[in-house]
Amino acid sequence: MVRVFHILLVSSALIMLTAGSVQAQETALPGDTASDVLDTVPPGPPCSLTVRDYLENSDFGDKIEIEWGLSPDDGSGAGDVTGYVLRRSLAEGEVGEKLDEITNGTTRYIDESVEPGTEYYYSLEAYDGANSSEPVLAGPVAGRANMFQWSRLPVLVLMVVFFAMVAWFTAAAGKGAKLFVRRIPGLNAIEEAVGRATEMGRPVLYVPGIGEIDNIMTIASLNILSHVAKITARYDTPLIVPTARAVVMSAAEEVVKQAYAEVGNPDAYNPDNIRYLSDAQFAFAGAVNGIMLREKPAANLYMGAFWAESLLLAETGFEAGAIQVAGTAMVSQLPFFVTACDFTLMGEELYAASAYLSREPKLLGGLKGSDWMKVVSIALIAAGIIARAVGLESFVAWFQTQ
Amino acid sequence: MGTIIWTTIGAVLTLSVYSFLYKDNPFYKFAEHLVVGISAGYYLVIYYFNFIQPNVVAPVFLLRFGDEVIGFGSSTWWLALIPGLLGLLLYTRFFPKVGWIGRWSLGIYVGGYAGLSLSPTMQARVLNQISANALPLTSVTNVFLIVGLLGTLTYFFFSMKHKGVLGVMARVGIVFLMVGFGASFGYTVMSRVSLLIGRVGFLLQDWLHLL
Amino acid sequence: MNIFERFMQIDRRWIFLAIGIAVVIPFFFPLELPVSVTDPVQNLYDALDRVPANGQPLLLAIDYAPATLPELEPMSLALLRHAFSNDVNVAVLTLHPAGYGLAERVMVQAADEMGKVYGEDYCFLGFRPGLSAVILGMGVNVRNVFPEDAYGTPLNDIPMLDGIRNYDDIPLLITLAGWSAAEAWVLYAHQPYGQDVGAGVTAVMATDLYPFLDTGQLVGLLGGMRGAAEYEELIGHPDAGVRGMDSQSSIHVLIIILIILGNIAYFGDRRKKREMERDAA
Repeated sequence: MVRVFHILLVSSALIMLTAGSVQAQETALPGDTASDVLDTVPPGPPCSLTVRDYLENSDFGDKIEIEWGLSPDDGSGAGDVTGYVLRRSLAEGEVGEKLDEITNGTTRYIDESVEPGTEYYYSLEAYDGANSSEPVLAGPVAGRANMFQWSRLPVLVLMVVFFAMVAWFTAAAGKGAKLFVRRIPGLNAIEEAVGRATEMGRPVLYVPGIGEIDNIMTIASLNILSHVAKITARYDTPLIVPTARAVVMSAAEEVVKQAYAEVGNPDAYNPDNIRYLSDAQFAFAGAVNGIMLREKPAANLYMGAFWAESLLLAETGFEAGAIQVAGTAMVSQLPFFVTACDFTLMGEELYAASAYLSREPKLLGGLKGSDWMKVVSIALIAAGIIARAVGLESFVAWFQTQ
Repeated sequence: MGTIIWTTIGAVLTLSVYSFLYKDNPFYKFAEHLVVGISAGYYLVIYYFNFIQPNVVAPVFLLRFGDEVIGFGSSTWWLALIPGLLGLLLYTRFFPKVGWIGRWSLGIYVGGYAGLSLSPTMQARVLNQISANALPLTSVTNVFLIVGLLGTLTYFFFSMKHKGVLGVMARVGIVFLMVGFGASFGYTVMSRVSLLIGRVGFLLQDWLHLL
Repeated sequence: MNIFERFMQIDRRWIFLAIGIAVVIPFFFPLELPVSVTDPVQNLYDALDRVPANGQPLLLAIDYAPATLPELEPMSLALLRHAFSNDVNVAVLTLHPAGYGLAERVMVQAADEMGKVYGEDYCFLGFRPGLSAVILGMGVNVRNVFPEDAYGTPLNDIPMLDGIRNYDDIPLLITLAGWSAAEAWVLYAHQPYGQDVGAGVTAVMATDLYPFLDTGQLVGLLGGMRGAAEYEELIGHPDAGVRGMDSQSSIHVLIIILIILGNIAYFGDRRKKREMERDAA
C-alpha cells in the first residue's frame, strides 16, 4: 500500500511539475531557466497605466507617451519583477502585438513608431522571468502634431521683426514717402544696353536664368523683365526671352504681355519670342548660344539664377560683341559674369535693382526691410561676440535651431 | 557588340561637340539639336512613369496608391485629384478666353513654394549663421572672418550713401568679395577641367581601350 | 602691335590645344602624385562608417545630370562601394529627371560588384519632381511621396524598407548634386527634421556649401573630382577620381602659367600705351 501511495505521489508530482513547466513555458519570457520553472506566483500588475500624446519638444504627432506605476513586486514585495512587456493594438480589449520589453524600475516609455492621428490601445504587464501579471489596459490615444514647435521660437521672433519692418516700409512707400535707396553702380547699364539695341535695330535677349519659379532670383528677374519689356515695347525693339522651365515661361509670358499692354503697345507683343527651350541645363545653354549667333541680339541681359551655363552664355555673348549686363545672387557664378560682362549686379544688387527700377512699394519695402535686417544681424552677431566673451554661451545657443 | 555601337555613338557625339572649339559646324549643330530633342522626349517619359502615373493616374483612376487600395472620394483620392486638376488648369492658356484661370494654379504654386522655403531659409541661412559667426575674437582667423563679414554686409546695405566709415567698410567688403570670387573661380576651373578629364577618359578607355 | 598685344589676342584655339595635350599626357604617363585626405571628406567617411550594417538604410540621393558626371559619378561609386562593403543597406533616389538612368547604372554596377540583392540590400525609389515639396513630404512619410519604387513595386513589399517611415528611420542621407538640390536637402531635411545630411558636389558648388560645414548643418562634404579621389583613397579602391588627379594637376600648372602670362601682358600693354600717350602729348 505504501508503495502504491509512493508511486501515486511521485507520478502526480511529476505530472504537476510537467504541467507547471509547460505553463511556465507558455508565459515565460527571456531568462527562462531551470530554476525559474519552480516560480509559479505571478507578480502584481503595474498599479496604473496612462497614455497620452507626447507634447515635449514639439513632435509631429508620431510619438505617444506611456507612464505607469510600478508593480508592487518591483523593488519591494516579492521584489522579483525583472521587467515589463508593452503591447499595442488597434482594437479595444485586444492584447495586441508586443512593442517592447522595458527593464524594471522604469515608469516611462515613448512610443516613436506611431502613425499620426491613428487611435491605439496599450497594455502593460509585469513579468518576473517566469510569469507575467495580468495586463493593465489603457487607451484609446492618438498622436497629434503640436501646434507650435517651441524650439523654433527664435525663427518666429526674427520673422515677426522682419515682416514688421517690411510691412512698415511698404506702407510708408505706398503713402508716397521718399525712401532712400543709394544708386547702384551699373544700374543704368540695363537701360543703356536696351537703348543701344534699339539704335542698331537688333533684338534684346533676356535670359531669366534656369531657376524654378520658386527661386527668389527668378522672381526678381521677372520684375526686371517687366521693366525691360516696357522699354522695348516703347521703342518697338524685339525682346527674346528663352526659358528653361515651363512654369517660368508661363510667368514670363504674363509679365511681358502685361508690360506691353501697360505701355499701350499690345500689338507689338510677340508670343513666339517667349520660348521654352529645354529643362536640360547644357541643352538650354547650347540653344541660347545658337540664338546669340543666329539672331544676333545687341544686348544680352542675364538676370536670375545661373549655374554652370553662366560662362558658356556670357563668353559666347562677348564673342558676338553684344553689350552684356548680368545679375545673379549665385555666388559661384559671379566671377564669370564679372569677367565676361560689361556690368554685373552682384548678389542682393539684383533684388535692389528690381526694387529701384520699378519703385514698386512692395519691392522697396522688401529691400528696406532686408537692409535693416542686416543691421539687426550685425547687432546680434556683436551681442553674440560679447556674450561669448563674458561666458553667456546660452545666448548664442538660443539661435541654433535644430 | 551592342556596347561597342553605343560607345561609338557616344564618342562620335562627344567629338562633334568638341569640334565647336575649332568653329561652329554642322556636326556640332546636329549634336546640339539631338540633345535638346532627346532630352525633351526623355523627360516626358521620366515625368510620366515616375510621377504622373504612380502619384496621379493610379490613385485617381485605378484607386490604388502603392499597395494601398483607396476609396473613391477618400482623402488620398482628393489629395491626388485636386493638385492634378490645378496642374491641368495651366493648359487653359491654349484658349485665350479662359487663359486667366491658369493663374490660379500659378498663384498657388508660387505662394506655396515661397511659404515652404521661408522658415527653413531663416533657420539655415540666418539664425544658424549668426550663432556660428558670434566667434570669440581671440585668433587672427576669427578677427579676419568678422571683419570680412561686416564689410560684405555693409557693401550690400542700400539705405545710406557709402561715405565715411561706411565707405571704408564697403571697400573692405568688396576686397573680400573679390578674393572670394577668385577662390570660386579656381574651384570652377577645377570643375570644368574634371568634365574634360571625364570625357577624355571615356574616349581613351571605354571607346579606344588604349589604357 | 607690340608683343603684349599679340599675346592678348592669341587665337584661343592654341590654348584649347595646349589644355588637350595637358589632359591626355598624364593618362599615358601617370605621375601618381599623392592624394591627402581633408577633414570634410574624412568626416563624411566616418559618418557612413557609423551607419549600422543590415539595418536602417543609407539614403543616397543621386541628384546629378550627365553634365556633371565625371565629378559626381566617381563619388557615388565610391560611396556605394563603401556602404556595400560595410553591409549597409542603401535606398537610392533622384530629384533630377536626368539622374534616373545615371542613378540606376551606378547602383547596379556597385551592387553587381559586391553581390548585393535588390530589395534586401538596396532599392531604387526613382525620380520625383518638386524638390522642396518632395524632401518635406518624405519627412512625414516616404510612402506619401514614393508609394512604389522605380519599377512599380509597392514600398511595403520591399523587405529592406520594412519599418522605414521617415527621416527618423534614416541614419544618414547623402546627396550628390551639381545644382541647388544639395542645399535643398540641408534646408528641408536637416532644418525641420534634424536629418544628418552629407553632400558630394561639383567643385563649383563647394564654396556655396562650406558655410554649412562649420555650423554642423552638413556632416561632411566631397568637393569635385578631388573629393572623389580622396574618398577612393579612404576606401582603398582607387578609380576614376584618383586617375583624373594627375591630369587635373598638370592642367592647373598650365592655367597658373597662363594667368601669370596674361596679367604680365595686360599690365605691360597698359604701360606701353600710357608711355605712347605721354610721348604723343
